[in-house]
Amino acid sequence: MENNYNEEALMIIENFTPKIKQCLHQTSYQEREDLEQEIKLKIIEKLAKQEFNDTPSFWDFFI
Amino acid sequence: MCNEHQKIEEFFRRNIEQVKNPIISSFLADAKNLYLVQNAILYPTDCNMKMVDETFQSHYIRVRKIKYVSSLIYYFSLDFDKKRRRLQNRYLLIVDNGISGSDSAGEDERIEEGLLDTIENEELFKALRKLTDKQLQILEMIYVKDSPIKVIAESLQTTPQNISNLHRKALNKLHHMLRKEVN
Repeated sequence: MENNYNEEALMIIENFTPKIKQCLHQTSYQEREDLEQEIKLKIIEKLAKQEFNDTPSFWDFFI
Repeated sequence: MCNEHQKIEEFFRRNIEQVKNPIISSFLADAKNLYLVQNAILYPTDCNMKMVDETFQSHYIRVRKIKYVSSLIYYFSLDFDKKRRRLQNRYLLIVDNGISGSDSAGEDERIEEGLLDTIENEELFKALRKLTDKQLQILEMIYVKDSPIKVIAESLQTTPQNISNLHRKALNKLHHMLRKEVN
């Protein structure tokens, strides 16, 4: 399970790399590397902690 | 077969609004999912319904995660910069603060007093009083404050050459006046 999490986080980070790079422009040039690292750390943290369990059933949408 | 088609079409027509829902339509865009749903419509057994539900839930979770991470990245980078700027404003480095106009003027005044106060020789004091304000100011900055010519020029908004000239003239003037006194 742990391994699964890590792989998933890795994949998400990989897929989001362009978006992360784009958001680095929010801060000054010297801080960009720091920010990139912090974002990745945050993603890993949040994916491990956050619960996404309250999903509705498919059939709830239909009558 | 024809009957099956009708059944499926009828189901989707009945739920046209729900099918337009982005989460549903993205789920149905995958042929495998669509097949599962059609299967469940035709044969609504518990097993079929459950299979649809499970795949739908994993799809739903994935979409939510993507959305979550996307906004996390955006807001986190905004907050990061805000935090950085706040800290920077709170803990200013002293070297970052150049000599501002008002500050140096205050200091000049204090030094001016300092120079005239430190003179014990009466003749020299009188001679100094006869100099122009600017010459006095420059002498003070050079001899009391020990500032480089360049810095003085910047604070008086003129060129270093001009400061040198005024400095030399002031010294010559003092020299002349003191010579006369002695004679």
